[in-house]
Amino acid sequence: MKPLEIAALATFLAASAGASAADAPGKPMKMDEPMHGEMKKESMKKGDVKKAAKKKEREMKPMIEKEAAGSTKK
Amino acid sequence: MKKRTMETSLAGHSPGLVRSIERRLFLKQGLSLGALALLSGCDPTDDEGVQSLLKGMSRWNDRAQGWLFNPNKLAPEYPESAITKPFPFNAFYSEEEVTLVDGKDYKLELEGLIREKKPWTLPELYGLPQTSQITRHICVEGWSAIGKWSGVRFSDFLARVGADTSAKYIGFTCADDYYTSIDMATALHPQTLLTFRFADQVLPPKYGFPMKLRIPTKLGFKNPKHIMSMFVSNEFPGGYWEDQGYNWFSGS
Repeated sequence: MKPLEIAALATFLAASAGASAADAPGKPMKMDEPMHGEMKKESMKKGDVKKAAKKKEREMKPMIEKEAAGSTKK
Repeated sequence: MKKRTMETSLAGHSPGLVRSIERRLFLKQGLSLGALALLSGCDPTDDEGVQSLLKGMSRWNDRAQGWLFNPNKLAPEYPESAITKPFPFNAFYSEEEVTLVDGKDYKLELEGLIREKKPWTLPELYGLPQTSQITRHICVEGWSAIGKWSGVRFSDFLARVGADTSAKYIGFTCADDYYTSIDMATALHPQTLLTFRFADQVLPPKYGFPMKLRIPTKLGFKNPKHIMSMFVSNEFPGGYWEDQGYNWFSGS
């Protein structure tokens, strides 16, 4: 194989690998970007879900633990 | 694709049943009109009073939908030929940002009013009796798609772990930070499945690996993906979209 052909093949393989990596899942979520989908309001960011989940956990966890402890005593 | 209209779905049923369904529809539409009437003259902004009023109406709506819910009524099932290909991906993030969960280390955590809180590994979950369904996923955004999901009947799983099925709610937290909750009647519905497979393959990451709760009687956003933990409670857990004003029950 000639050097030019090797270079072309290498470029093609690199581009193919890049294309499949771009489609692959698992990239870190860009929290400051607007949310996808039609359910959102204009101002919503992807990171809002994480913040809301933490707040919800703080609210719910003590109640769930208390409730479960109460049911074990019965 | 087999499309069910109101006319075809009601055809062949007794006049009494049709009247009952019409009454339900009237009630549902009446509730929506009630909410609109209350809002007339209001500026539906982020005003706390309006938000509080709307949340109250929405919770009332949830209770009404709960009363109308028939735990024995099955969602339509379809032949393999009706499956939508490709099945759409939908989330609040892009497909390349889909969360990857490591199946080897995965353990489903159980909390709340559940007797056996031992975490479940994937091989243990895969070892439970499995069933399949081909049903329509209906999105609140206005589209729908038919897919095949396989997994364990959620009612069987709840019985196995000793969940208190007299409790009101089951909440879910997911690897992508999403969270939601459902009513116990829907959790016990025979078509509500804890699914591990999609189209006869291990659930791909974009459809919710390692598990998705499939509820054909509810809208898509009530079908959590990448479930990491669940809890049973009498405390109202809400959900991400539900806390933004989307109807919590969102089912039929």
